[in-house]
Amino acid sequence: MKNLYLCCLIACSLVVLAAEESMHQMHDHEGHLHDTMVDGSLLKVNPVRFDNFVSKLTEAQVAIISVNGMVCDFCARGIAKTFKKDRAVTKVDVDLAGGKVFVAYKINAKIDFEDIKEKILSNGQNATNLQVIKI
Amino acid sequence: MGVEFVKNKPLINEYVNFRFTYLLNRNNTPNSQRNLYMQSGVSSNGLDNFFYGIHGDWETRRLFAGFGIKKTEAKVLNYKEEFLQLGFAPYVGAYGDLHTWLMIKTKKNSATDTSTTYPVIKFFKGNALFEVGYNNSSEWDVHLMYRL
Repeated sequence: MKNLYLCCLIACSLVVLAAEESMHQMHDHEGHLHDTMVDGSLLKVNPVRFDNFVSKLTEAQVAIISVNGMVCDFCARGIAKTFKKDRAVTKVDVDLAGGKVFVAYKINAKIDFEDIKEKILSNGQNATNLQVIKI
Repeated sequence: MGVEFVKNKPLINEYVNFRFTYLLNRNNTPNSQRNLYMQSGVSSNGLDNFFYGIHGDWETRRLFAGFGIKKTEAKVLNYKEEFLQLGFAPYVGAYGDLHTWLMIKTKKNSATDTSTTYPVIKFFKGNALFEVGYNNSSEWDVHLMYRL
């Protein structure tokens, strides 16, 4: 039984490694988007993820939040759920590799970094930076 | 705070633990998170049946290390449980992907004077988490979690 279990474990490993290779081949290899904001700060995001996020947005503000400690998908779910409770928020996505949370707000909403910091902290992570883009 | 239902095979008894977990220390960096918790609780068998201990973990998107020490004081027996868990993610998935962790866990129980080491595989996708391990002494070690 133990040997069978170990065989299953090894087989699962091989399957996921193959899946990773497959996913790697499908990935965009252009890396991160480096764009300069009007205040001179550098915008560093995953271009594919960010383009997908903003593709159907109009008349919106997008908050790009840098987060420390966001190392797992399961933890990031909590962050997304917290933001989705906010009525001014229309869409949320997470770039785990870049440590960023994208939050789309209604165009007239007030974006408060202190409130964002509290929301992130309530999930166990730390918000370290905020950049806002109007779409 | 929480409640756990315990079926203790070595001591052949069942009870409920009312448990309290407190975060002692946390360190977040761009690529890692480290946590240290204190835990304590009292059993439904009475106030003279209680436990206390610490547990902690450190993880990146690729690596995981966790440990725990728990001392239980009960009418029939006082004992200590310790565990160490190490793991890695064979691939690093994006948000929304199926995430997989391969781990090895070592547990030691002073009540039975046994030590066991066994493999654990953990999957999570979306709000669901599934973890399964197998060892000769306590057989299946299964955890299911769903975030509401």
